[in-house]
Amino acid sequence: MLRFRTLLAGPSRKRKKNPKTRRRTRAARSDAVPGKQCDDADVLRQPHQLETFPPEEEEEEDGELGFRLKRSARSAHGVQPLGNLFLSPNAANSRNAGLGTLQSLTDELVLEILGLLSGTHLGILATVSKSFYVFCNHEPLWRNLVLEALGGDFLFNGSWKSTYVAGCHPSFDVGSVGESGLEVRDFYSDYVFQSWLCANLEMKPEWLERDNIVRKRGISVEEFVRSFEEPNKPVLLEGCMDGWSALEKWNREYLVKTCTGVRFSVGPVEMRLEDYLRYSDQTREERPLYLFDPKFGEKVPVLGSDYEVPIYFREDLFSVLGNERPDYRWIIIGPSGSGSSFHIDPNSTSAWNAVITGSKKWVLFPPDVVPPGVHPSPDGAEVACPVSIIEWFMNFYGATKSWEKKPVECICKAGEVIFVPSGWWHMVINLEESIAITQNYVSSRNLLSVLDFLKKPNASTLVSGTRDRVNLHNKFKNAIEAKFPGKIGQLMLKAEEKAALQKKPSFWDSVTDSKAGAFKFSF
Amino acid sequence: MSSSPPPSSAAASPSCPKKMIALRSSDGETFEIEEAAALQSKTLENMIDEDCAGTPIPLPNVTGKILAKVVEFCSKHAEPGVDDESLRAWDAEFVNVEQATVFDYILAANFLEIPTLLNLTCNVVADMIRGKTPDEIRKFFNIKSIFSPEEEEEVRRENHWAFE
Repeated sequence: MLRFRTLLAGPSRKRKKNPKTRRRTRAARSDAVPGKQCDDADVLRQPHQLETFPPEEEEEEDGELGFRLKRSARSAHGVQPLGNLFLSPNAANSRNAGLGTLQSLTDELVLEILGLLSGTHLGILATVSKSFYVFCNHEPLWRNLVLEALGGDFLFNGSWKSTYVAGCHPSFDVGSVGESGLEVRDFYSDYVFQSWLCANLEMKPEWLERDNIVRKRGISVEEFVRSFEEPNKPVLLEGCMDGWSALEKWNREYLVKTCTGVRFSVGPVEMRLEDYLRYSDQTREERPLYLFDPKFGEKVPVLGSDYEVPIYFREDLFSVLGNERPDYRWIIIGPSGSGSSFHIDPNSTSAWNAVITGSKKWVLFPPDVVPPGVHPSPDGAEVACPVSIIEWFMNFYGATKSWEKKPVECICKAGEVIFVPSGWWHMVINLEESIAITQNYVSSRNLLSVLDFLKKPNASTLVSGTRDRVNLHNKFKNAIEAKFPGKIGQLMLKAEEKAALQKKPSFWDSVTDSKAGAFKFSF
Repeated sequence: MSSSPPPSSAAASPSCPKKMIALRSSDGETFEIEEAAALQSKTLENMIDEDCAGTPIPLPNVTGKILAKVVEFCSKHAEPGVDDESLRAWDAEFVNVEQATVFDYILAANFLEIPTLLNLTCNVVADMIRGKTPDEIRKFFNIKSIFSPEEEEEVRRENHWAFE
């Protein structure tokens, strides 16, 4: 039960393991409805909601809540958490009277039913009672309706509901009405309150304090391999983006101009960059849509030439597959609050992530430590996580303080590159609007584990971004043998030698080893 | 050595009875369900996987009246050789019950994580909503509308587009 001060774990949902796995595109959408005229100048200006860290003084702290709300936080329509019900005299939950016989259902179930309704029926239902008004204004419902009806061809209009009405009922003047400021008294619901809270919360400073990653500048490739890639440890590398023209060139104006007409992958849909930026400027959601495109280099070749792979990551063994290689590089653009919840990267690859503008908070756990609140299925195909990144911080981050094995954390800023070793759990949240490039790769250090992974029976569902998933193991192995004959054999020998060195001492070894204890043979 | 049929939970022969799982409702009634049918419930599937399915599984959230029907639903949906059309017709008949019972099915399907039943029953309720005017919806679900006249006007204005 929630009260303003303490918040309990919210509902968890099964999610696909990794944002880099191929997404199913949404079912057919209706013809795009021409929306309002888009003022390009609006999009090119830097967003006024840009949040920077450390937080500026103007941000208000809500002392009662103990959390900081975003400056542009939306109204919650007066919804309160369930715990408050017991604190108020003559308490009665208007939720129930307004739902009638449906009151026996949980909030999630009510929303599940509402999720089956068309926009029209949802709009009608909103007028039925205060309860239904609150439920029917639940933004995720309207987000789904927009994406189904308009795909990526929507012009965000302040809220998903407003976007839907503007896009699907253009003759109705949405601007003249605005969002009703209806305050609903005595409506108590943990689910609805939590949902609103997560959408409007700022990251607490104490969640950002720990920065314990190893940072290196100007090290050699050999040192990187020896100290980090071989032992599979993360590191933050400074100064290896110095030659990138992206660092100077990539601002909104340049990108919008260069990418005119190009559509980028945004969640389940594809969007023009200016439409995405218009949305990201205005959105206040638990999980904002994230621009995460694996084909940006093909779609806009000049972007591919604005950066180069840092020297540490030049060995790229999947390249032997040519066009049949899995997706390997992404451009990532997202507003403050967007990011990826806990996952392990696909195919047992390693990765690097370079921030061009903005900043990202990272939390990493080694392969053998499952993060608190995360529940991978036995085959690793699905990961059940808390609903949002903010919720994870609210409910689970504190637990890590008492752990001996603390996670690796850092804030990665513009010009910095983080190395994410193969198999490591990681989670990222953008602290401000951020543009980054990430690549996954196979090198000699993780080649064997990648091959092992591809041999697994369910590899075909887990492998990311390939057309012919089934034969990838054999194709890859054969291609490596062709281009680098004997390499696999060499690596296996080395691995066996290493394993032999780390083998437990034999019984005889242990009795002669004085360190093993006091036991000694005596005849 | 005589050959014996390999153990199989899928196919059953007279000499190889299907594995049964026992469930106990909140009011103490016990029901038996075939394992294949029980697997439609993710909750039960997890318990079977973890080998907790020895003694009757207590289901404190489901009454005997509803559990009987849930068992019936799962058994029907585990039956081999039923064509889609017949199954849909059977489903339609299954949910042709009073409101309160549909809601009980929803709660049971949610608790037991039976996606087919949850989907079916939620759609039934969505159908109850579709096509009705606000007044009809209030009447149907016995909702007390407590909007003030001004509030009602405002909310109606905001959603005016849905009524065109």
